[in-house]
Amino acid sequence: MRIPKLLRTSSFRLTTAYAALFSVSAAILFVLVYSGTTHYMEVELDTAIASDITEFQDIFETRGIEALIREIRARGRQADNANMAYLLQSPTNAALAGNMPPQKRSSRLFETRIPASFSPDRPARRIRARSVALSDGNTLFVGVETASLIDMQSVILRAFAFSFGITLLLAFVGGIMMSRNLLLHVERVSQTGRDIMAGNLSLRIPVRGVDDEFDHLATSLNLMLEQMERLIESMRQVSNDIAHDLRTPLNRLRQRLERTQRTEHSAQWLRAAICTSITEVDAILDTFSALLRIAQIESATSTPEPRNVDLSEVLDTVVEIYQPSAEEKRQSLAGRITRNLTATGDRELLAQMVSNLVENAIRHSPEGAAIAVTAAHGAAGIEVVVADSGPGIPAAERDKVFRRFYRLEASRSTPGNGLGLSLVAAIAERHQIAIALEDDQPGLRVRLTFPPAGEPADRSAEAA
Amino acid sequence: MRILVIEDDRETADYLVSGLADEGHSTTSARTGSDGLMLAEKDLFDVLLVDRMLPGMDGLRLVKTLRSSGNTTPVLFITTLGGIDDRVTGLNAGGDDYLVKPFAFAELAARVVALGRRSRAASIQARIRVGDVELDLLAHSLSRGGRQIELQPREVRLLEYLMRHAGQIVTRTMLLENVWNLHFDPHTNVVETQMSRLRCKLKTGADIDLIHTIRGSGYCFRADP
Repeated sequence: MRIPKLLRTSSFRLTTAYAALFSVSAAILFVLVYSGTTHYMEVELDTAIASDITEFQDIFETRGIEALIREIRARGRQADNANMAYLLQSPTNAALAGNMPPQKRSSRLFETRIPASFSPDRPARRIRARSVALSDGNTLFVGVETASLIDMQSVILRAFAFSFGITLLLAFVGGIMMSRNLLLHVERVSQTGRDIMAGNLSLRIPVRGVDDEFDHLATSLNLMLEQMERLIESMRQVSNDIAHDLRTPLNRLRQRLERTQRTEHSAQWLRAAICTSITEVDAILDTFSALLRIAQIESATSTPEPRNVDLSEVLDTVVEIYQPSAEEKRQSLAGRITRNLTATGDRELLAQMVSNLVENAIRHSPEGAAIAVTAAHGAAGIEVVVADSGPGIPAAERDKVFRRFYRLEASRSTPGNGLGLSLVAAIAERHQIAIALEDDQPGLRVRLTFPPAGEPADRSAEAA
Repeated sequence: MRILVIEDDRETADYLVSGLADEGHSTTSARTGSDGLMLAEKDLFDVLLVDRMLPGMDGLRLVKTLRSSGNTTPVLFITTLGGIDDRVTGLNAGGDDYLVKPFAFAELAARVVALGRRSRAASIQARIRVGDVELDLLAHSLSRGGRQIELQPREVRLLEYLMRHAGQIVTRTMLLENVWNLHFDPHTNVVETQMSRLRCKLKTGADIDLIHTIRGSGYCFRADP
């Protein structure tokens, strides 16, 4: 059987469960009220019986049987005793007085029915009665009508039945309404999901701005979608770039090999050709490695155990290793590095990041330029600045230079694969280092701001 | 030297085995991790070349198993895994050196020799002597034929590395890794520059040149010409 969608929702199930729970508690309440009221009324009735018996016994003992018979007959006629029933019965079960048909003797409480035929002026009634044996052998019965008790019981029963019905009805209607509401929200989310799957990656789940849990969910999902769209876009970009930028050197290699194969050459010529080809293949492999490395750094989700790196030593080493390259171009490379700077992260990656920046500075600055690496504690954290007096980067291009394979028009002729700054950006991101490209008038100033060391917290954690 | 090559790719294995044989080493090769482990435990080798990704049992586990059974044969990982932590992971597992494919064969050959010799030489020495050159690592002083030579700290480390591997070829990459502690290739000629500076300091007057440049491979510190 197909259950309607509305009735299968979790909110409907929840409402049903609440309704059931409420019904159980109402049932318990009903039982308590019903039995409590019944008991109270029974005690009332029994007290009325007991007080009449005591009174009659008193009359019998002080004034004798004749007086008792008179009293019973008199009371039977009184209107305010209409709900009472009396009977004085001889040992031979003959009625001496009273308005009750003959009864079997019983010292316990019993219930009986006075049929309408017995007293033609009154309808049939149910009574609750008790008997007592008098000392002359007669038996006295006193009973009381139970109509009020039954009335009360039926009133309670009706009230509860009515409220049960209302509860269940409200639960059902409320459940359906809540479910409809929920389904509407969920349907909106899943519809957006299907639309995105159909290819429209820029779609977002509508946020209603009421700041409820659906808005929270939508906001989180939208953030996720944004991140995914960015990743997909960058992946698309990268694969395009790879296809374009690696085709050129591969084509060149292919042409060289073809030319070598086409004509006869001396062994020496061939060896030289192979040598050049290997160099070209190495360059291609280098580009691949750089791409892979960037991808690995970018996608590394697990941050490795943070290690303390002697940043001053790393920077000194970088300045030292590039000294010969700078000298070759008659450039000056100066390091002004504060002692004992400590950063958290991967030594190799940090060294590579600064190396790439210094290498870029040397490569893109003309002969005789001045390059400086400075490092000191700044307001926000450690600041490392690599500055050169080269041509700089136009403000409009500053965002683009971190893209893979992006190269400025002016530097197309210089060697390089266009991945150096992408790697720098990836390493910086991984270490939460902020990069700023500034105009050094003239030249480029790359400012790296390291995150403030979160060491006090770590230390206290260790001490604990 | 006796070398065990544990590599699953037939082409690469052949390339390594024939190359090492040309260098005068005797090589055995294994295709899977478990075969390699069996051979490494059974026979005595000077160096193990281990690919990190192997069928059956990966290189990392192989080396861990070997080390836990007390085998200290030097291990050189050859791998395509060049990730951020891969080298550290490899060395932590008990590897002695780590070479990422693709590499020049000369690089591999030099590293194999360096590893094989290291197992024999006592590594902790405060004073190293090769020919008429004596380097005192505690006093940071260098003398050649009784003449004192002043050295910069980096030059001391460079010379120490060369002298510890005297008679062997050391490559540019090995020097960058061990002297400068850099595990990537900075496109700079710092090694060449430092080497020629050191060479100048060592060779004054009629002394014979001790640092030899081996074309296409690297450098060799040798007392005999």
